[in-house]
Amino acid sequence: MTESMRSLVERLKAKNPAEPEFHQAVAEVFESLELVMERYPEYRAANILERVVEPERVIMFRVPWTDDQGVVHVNRGFRIEMNSAIGPYKGGLRFHPSVNLGILKFLAFEQVFKNSLTTLPMGGGKGGSDFDPKGKSDNEVMRFCQSFMTELARHIGPDTDVPAGDIGVGGREIGYLFGQYKRIRNEFTGVLTGKGLNWGGSLIRPEATGYGSVYFASEMLATRKQTLKDKICLVSGSGNVAQYTVEKILELGGKVVTMSDSSGYIYDEAGIDRKKLDFLMELKNVRRGRIKEYAEEFKNVVYTPLEGRMEFNPLWNHKAHCAFPSATQNEINARDAEHLVKNGVYCVAEGANMPTTLDGVKIFLDAKILYGPGKAANAGGVATSGLEMAQNSMRLPWTREEVDQRLHMIMKGIHKACVETAERFGTPGNYVNGANIAGFLKVADAMMDQGLV
Amino acid sequence: MPKDADINELSTIGSYIDPMWVEHGYGTRFQGFQNLMRRRIRDILIVSSLYDLYLFEEDGRLYELIRNEYQGLRLSHAPELTRVSSGRNAIAIAQEERRFDLIISTLHIEDMSALQLARMVKETGLDIPVVLLANDNRELNELMMHHDTSVFSGIFIWQGDYRLIIGIIKQLEDKMNVEHDTKMVGVQSIILIEDNVRFYSSYLPILYTELLNQSQRLISEGINLSHQYLRMRARPKILLCKTYEEAWGYFERYEEYILGIVSDLDFPRGGEPDAHAGLALLRAVRESHQDIPFLLQSTSTEHEEEIHALGGTLLIKESPTLLHQLRLFMTEYFSFGDFVFRLADGREVGRASDLRSLEQQLRYVPSESIRYHAERNHFSNWLKARTEFWLAHQLRPRKVSDYPTLEHLRQDLIRSLHEYQRLRQRGIITQFSKETFDPESSFARIGSGSLGGKARGLGFVNILLNNYDIRDKIEGILIHVPPAIVLSTEVFDRFLEENELRSFALEEEDDGIITKRFLEAKRFPEDTLGELAAFLDLMKVPLAVRSSSLLEDSQYHPFAGVYETYMIPNNHPDPFVRLGALVNTIKRVYASTFYRAAKDYIKMASYRLEEEKMAVIVQKMVGSQRENRFYPEISGVAKSHNFYPLPPQKSEDGIVSVALGLGKMIVDGGPTVRFCPKYPQHIHQHFSATETLRTSQNEFYALELFSSQSEEGEYEDVTLRRHRLSTAETDGTLHRLGSTYSSENDRLYDGISRSGTRVVTFAPILKHKLFPLPEILELLLDMGRWGMGTQVEIEFAVNLSPVNEGRREFGLLQMRPLVLSKESDSFQLGAYDESRVLCSSPQALGHGVMKDIFDIVVVNKNTFERSATTIVAAEVAGLNEKLVAARKPYILIGVGRWGSLDPWLGIPVKWGNICGARAIVEADFADIDVAPSQGSHFFQNITSFMIGYFSINNRLKNGSLDWGWLLTSPAVEETKYVRHLRFSQPVIVAIQGHNHNGLILKPENDSGRK
Repeated sequence: MTESMRSLVERLKAKNPAEPEFHQAVAEVFESLELVMERYPEYRAANILERVVEPERVIMFRVPWTDDQGVVHVNRGFRIEMNSAIGPYKGGLRFHPSVNLGILKFLAFEQVFKNSLTTLPMGGGKGGSDFDPKGKSDNEVMRFCQSFMTELARHIGPDTDVPAGDIGVGGREIGYLFGQYKRIRNEFTGVLTGKGLNWGGSLIRPEATGYGSVYFASEMLATRKQTLKDKICLVSGSGNVAQYTVEKILELGGKVVTMSDSSGYIYDEAGIDRKKLDFLMELKNVRRGRIKEYAEEFKNVVYTPLEGRMEFNPLWNHKAHCAFPSATQNEINARDAEHLVKNGVYCVAEGANMPTTLDGVKIFLDAKILYGPGKAANAGGVATSGLEMAQNSMRLPWTREEVDQRLHMIMKGIHKACVETAERFGTPGNYVNGANIAGFLKVADAMMDQGLV
Repeated sequence: MPKDADINELSTIGSYIDPMWVEHGYGTRFQGFQNLMRRRIRDILIVSSLYDLYLFEEDGRLYELIRNEYQGLRLSHAPELTRVSSGRNAIAIAQEERRFDLIISTLHIEDMSALQLARMVKETGLDIPVVLLANDNRELNELMMHHDTSVFSGIFIWQGDYRLIIGIIKQLEDKMNVEHDTKMVGVQSIILIEDNVRFYSSYLPILYTELLNQSQRLISEGINLSHQYLRMRARPKILLCKTYEEAWGYFERYEEYILGIVSDLDFPRGGEPDAHAGLALLRAVRESHQDIPFLLQSTSTEHEEEIHALGGTLLIKESPTLLHQLRLFMTEYFSFGDFVFRLADGREVGRASDLRSLEQQLRYVPSESIRYHAERNHFSNWLKARTEFWLAHQLRPRKVSDYPTLEHLRQDLIRSLHEYQRLRQRGIITQFSKETFDPESSFARIGSGSLGGKARGLGFVNILLNNYDIRDKIEGILIHVPPAIVLSTEVFDRFLEENELRSFALEEEDDGIITKRFLEAKRFPEDTLGELAAFLDLMKVPLAVRSSSLLEDSQYHPFAGVYETYMIPNNHPDPFVRLGALVNTIKRVYASTFYRAAKDYIKMASYRLEEEKMAVIVQKMVGSQRENRFYPEISGVAKSHNFYPLPPQKSEDGIVSVALGLGKMIVDGGPTVRFCPKYPQHIHQHFSATETLRTSQNEFYALELFSSQSEEGEYEDVTLRRHRLSTAETDGTLHRLGSTYSSENDRLYDGISRSGTRVVTFAPILKHKLFPLPEILELLLDMGRWGMGTQVEIEFAVNLSPVNEGRREFGLLQMRPLVLSKESDSFQLGAYDESRVLCSSPQALGHGVMKDIFDIVVVNKNTFERSATTIVAAEVAGLNEKLVAARKPYILIGVGRWGSLDPWLGIPVKWGNICGARAIVEADFADIDVAPSQGSHFFQNITSFMIGYFSINNRLKNGSLDWGWLLTSPAVEETKYVRHLRFSQPVIVAIQGHNHNGLILKPENDSGRK
């Protein structure tokens, strides 16, 4: 970090005390931007950094509601409209007792660059309330959502600010919020994303993250003139992301040999084919059983229980070409990263959020393998929000294929931005740098263009 | 109904109230019978020199004898005896522990005289009665002659009968409760006037033994739990007096409720010894009451004639058969024995031992005899002595002159008795007979022994259901105890004896061998076999065979889950095969009495295995057949007290766990839906679709009706099978309990009409009121809590498919007292020196005391940074692994929300990372206020493992935590963020579930107690 950046962070802390999450997020972003500020003196003159850390608008409001017993409660509602340089504010709403200004500012700040990286016209924002949906009846949740939206409605709109869901805000809450917005404004518009399929929602939402990470991987492979065809792939997890990762890999001709859940993982040397995947999807989505049953169902499958005490995850210790960590945070540590590299894996695309520890990332970068960080590789999830907005604006829902195709294009775009940016800043093939900088550049340039606003 | 029926009102209100109400205390609801004998003596401090003690009994025996006596008389729990040998110690311990209800001092104690002790107790302001128990008559006389002994609450002399202790206790209790109990339901009293310590010391044990035995006899008549409890409490009281004035005072006050008087002839009157005080008292009593039995004791026959003329009885004190005669008198005059019909000249013309024979005799005895007894209130006296207060009060005001003829009186008596018995019959456990057993509703017994805890509980519930009119309270729903027969412990005894299995079973340690031998046992009591065959002839539906042991469900040691339960399809076409299967299953239950787990448990609970006997309940299963499966739609467990209430719930609102299919899912700790019957729409685990999916049931249990399993080597539950939810959907049982998850919309839809993932949420019932489950449970918990006089736990099953007359069926399978151990009560928040307290919290969840924790894992508040919580989580997980491997439970202390999803708000551990923790402390951050999680992230685990959960908020002064001590005590291991402390003494955790006060004490050697 440069001296001026450091002093900016100090000023930020003084100005916004008791927001440590926000301080740290800013510091992290700044660290990755040192090179940028060196090369773009005009940013310094325009004081871009100081402008980008200050929310364009913060809305804080009272949300009164009555519970089923008639007791009056008051919660605090927030909407941080962080940055609208490249599009209407976009970002989730979180209902959780822990919600406060600092946390939301931190989330909104990160959202700006995530959205920018998708290449779609979406600004950044975040909002929510310290309301705890735990132990609340449907009616109480509805009354809260209606009260919340009664105030929020005057600040948002399909061309202004388009909130989505987050922790504590799922399909049910989005429904209640949308209903109240529609009632107050008397207009049916795409003011929220995450809507129900038959009233403005988009297809391919559950699939997007998994599909996207595979698209990203095949773009990375393409830089080495390769495709996924016949590539042996290690996939971890068995939830949405993992399932659709496997599905897309199969479509593109690859061969998946592992999947896992919290209790253990299976190694199927013959590969998980469509039929086996269908079994697994039924097992996980409908019966909600353990992955062990997969090993009991099919021949020549090795099941290995995963124990917390292990110092490495044996799933990552198989001969393969590609790896798709799609389970949880920190599932690849330094030891696992070494195993992967040693076993010939040269392409890692992160479907999960931050699945690789910092040490692990360093090993990948040092080994110069194709490493697609989650920020870029799993941006497919964020992108579908944008696609939902687009369909709403057109008043025309796309078919699965159309959405999938758009998703593919978006992932290609993200990949391209990462590669080009990395190269431009002297670290060719470093997708981490590429992703960090590309998101920022787009926003900063737009701010420069639009003048001091 | 008036809330608190006054004595004088009793006779008038009696005319329009339902006898069941009075009988069971319903009339006054919460102030009824179960509130009798409210004040009890539970803890006794004995102060005695070792030598004195030795004279009483060899050391240690006294307590055992008393305990046995209490058990034999089925009194509630025996008092605890604590002994000290010096007066100073006695006062110190009494002051400190504040739990003693009575001090018994012998004449000789180490550092002072008994008299000094009694005075000191008074002076120190301790409100504890002190009783002197002497063992030497001469010494005692000396003391009483020269000193004022009024400071003692009683003086007794030891004559070798340990039951005297019981007499002392009961006598004091009676004095404490007489006012309240008489007012409440008209409990009767016996006045005992005797100033001679030696005499009353020998009378008291006899009188009480007789009284208790009398109640005992009535109990066996009552044959159900409610009578048993209530009758014990409603037994007559004994009021011991030493002067005329004292006795007269009692007489005037409780006139109508005096069962009889046992008096000395010579005792103080007007402050002076009066050789004829007894006679004077008799005369005075007779002025208003001709019929109160009066026993006078004298050393001579001097006044015999006058006494007889006044209707009294004389006993000669020196008579070698004095005690025997006393007993005879009680039996006859206190109506403790049979009702003897006599003519005016004393000739016996009939005899009745219970209500039924009384009714019968009334039809035949000469009307002269009826007049004789009616004029003297003999009927009501006899009934009262049997605690049939309601009927007694009904009859008492009726005068012979009220009836045109004696025949009218006779008919009225017969009618009243008959009607009363009919009412009382409802819900009683009758002897099984094929003719009267109703396969839809009966609850009958086979054999004459005890029914065991579980069956007794069921019988009790059955009565409550009937008397409360709950059976039909909710339209379209049959609420009942499913029809059952109980094989009493007598059958168990006979089986063991006939096959000579007892000593083998006591010694054998291998469960498998025991089962094998039991199954091979050839002899099964013949008559029982016949009755079982008759029963099976009526019941061709699946049966549950469950243990009901003597010790099971005892209020203090719940044996829930120690013994086995079996289910049998009972559907073979050949009745002999069905009988064979049932008998084998019964043998298995018998065998399980001697299983390892049961042996261990009994040892732990300090019972003796020989004492244990097994009754067996054979009960119709609740459920319906679907293809090859039999199961109820809903099984559940409801508790009237919730140790982990989350707003808006309160502890007393109770908590329910329900699952689809058989209850094994719940018993095994599988996924269930937990709800509070008062707030059925506020389901904590359903706050998000993901969480609902994670915590909901995906399989269920059903009984396999046509099993291909062989009989040999078959163990528990082979006839039970797990099924997928899709099976329930095909069976048509899921649509009343299910919701559907749509991954496309990330939303849960109630009902299963859409396509998507099926989830058992019970939403159609809890939210859309398809079935009034919460209402029924609220009602039953309320009823149970009141009926048992304690918190209760109910097991139930619901069959939503119409069965009985098109009604749906709610089966109550068990009700037992919910054990709220009182141990934690002795750990009061304010009672400890601040330096001793590690942590205190007014919002702790859980209940009980843990004394086996020596380890603490604490997050170092000073090095902690909110940005490093994931590292902290990893460090905690590492220590957890080590401690779990070493089987060391520990206390986990940290800041912020444990298990937070957001790493900024707490330490983002998963349950597996902290699974060895037995108590968890969640303290606040220094910088921001975060709502405590109260363990909500792993709520299921916390509740099912009964983990203690403490929330501390220093800033709001909500609780305290000694950080200084935690961070300075030497650590066994220390990482950057986490410290592991280990102590040689336990760190005690105590939580009082009823008020959510929690306390953690530092190990003993680290600081002193206040």
